[in-house]
Amino acid sequence: MSVGTEIWLFSVSVIASAVGGMLGMASGIFIVPILTMLCHVDLRNAIGASIVSVIACSCGSAAAFLKERLTNVRLAIVLETATTAGALTGVLLAGRIPKPGLFFMFGTILLLSAWQMVARRNDPVSFRSHSSDRDSRVRELDSSYPDHELGLDIAYRVERVPVGLILMYVAGLISALLGIGSGVLKVPAMDSALRLPIKVSSATSNFMICVTAAASAGAYFVRGEIVPAITGPVALGSVVGAILGARLLVSISNQRIRLLFAAVLIAVAAQMLFAGFAKQ
Amino acid sequence: MNRRTTHTEGRIESVLATALAVGTWLISAVISAGVLLSFFPAGTPYGSQVIMAGIGLFILLPITRVILMLTLFVGIREYKFAGVAAFVLAIIIASLVIGALYK
Repeated sequence: MSVGTEIWLFSVSVIASAVGGMLGMASGIFIVPILTMLCHVDLRNAIGASIVSVIACSCGSAAAFLKERLTNVRLAIVLETATTAGALTGVLLAGRIPKPGLFFMFGTILLLSAWQMVARRNDPVSFRSHSSDRDSRVRELDSSYPDHELGLDIAYRVERVPVGLILMYVAGLISALLGIGSGVLKVPAMDSALRLPIKVSSATSNFMICVTAAASAGAYFVRGEIVPAITGPVALGSVVGAILGARLLVSISNQRIRLLFAAVLIAVAAQMLFAGFAKQ
Repeated sequence: MNRRTTHTEGRIESVLATALAVGTWLISAVISAGVLLSFFPAGTPYGSQVIMAGIGLFILLPITRVILMLTLFVGIREYKFAGVAAFVLAIIIASLVIGALYK
């Protein structure tokens, strides 16, 4: 592969990852569409490159959340049993799902992301309302996090872990099939099932993504499906883009900008769905 | 759940944070070296081999994180969570084996 192509892949990945990161999403979501649509990379090679860059971004950004004590590491390892099991299932299915099917799935995930971007997330519960101590087993996962605005530690409970595990299994499966972090599926799991504070669910989801992705990326790696000339520049570009995106995150709370990006997501989704039809 | 002290709590997080941050930077350096090597047109199988090694290391980094969590949980005698970490590790290994055996 030529020097020009590698620099092009690197630059495109920087932009894709920075835009994803700016929106507070797993930065992988734009990598696959851009690689397939703009760079004409084969879908399966793009998915392989993307899943490796998802590991790089998740590992790289986890440290900051851990240091702020936002990540619930016990909850993460419990939920990782489900996400890695989902990834394992995805590895088994990956070769059996035809490309149009993958394009359709990707388009759907992008539409879901657009919807999530427009719908504002609120903290799922007020922390005064404690349920009774029916299930003492789950209580070991409860924790607290420091809130800098209020200047105190806020205790929270982890609810309905079994429902959370089921949703995480699906997230792991989609992550392995499409080469994305599938934060878009983890967010509803964390919000509606486990009822975690937003800061805790973002940090914990980010922490889990690299382990989930390693389970599928490892399998694709030993299968020889990962192309170094594509994956190397893409992984480096997304690490750089993720750092840039995190810096720009501040300015994106504006509702108008969110709507603009939701429109971009819908346009990309339409492209992916169209590609699915065209390839049938 | 009061047997956890704030002391042990912060320690797990900071050990994991350091391991992940250092790992990401080192491996990014390896991949960068590989990409730069592949720019040289003469005799360049090395470039893609170095990139491939870097990608392999990136896949090993989260696996190392799970092993690290396992040992940290054993260290603070939370054997239940150490067991969960061992189970996650077993699933990842199963995924690698399946990847190698079935296409």
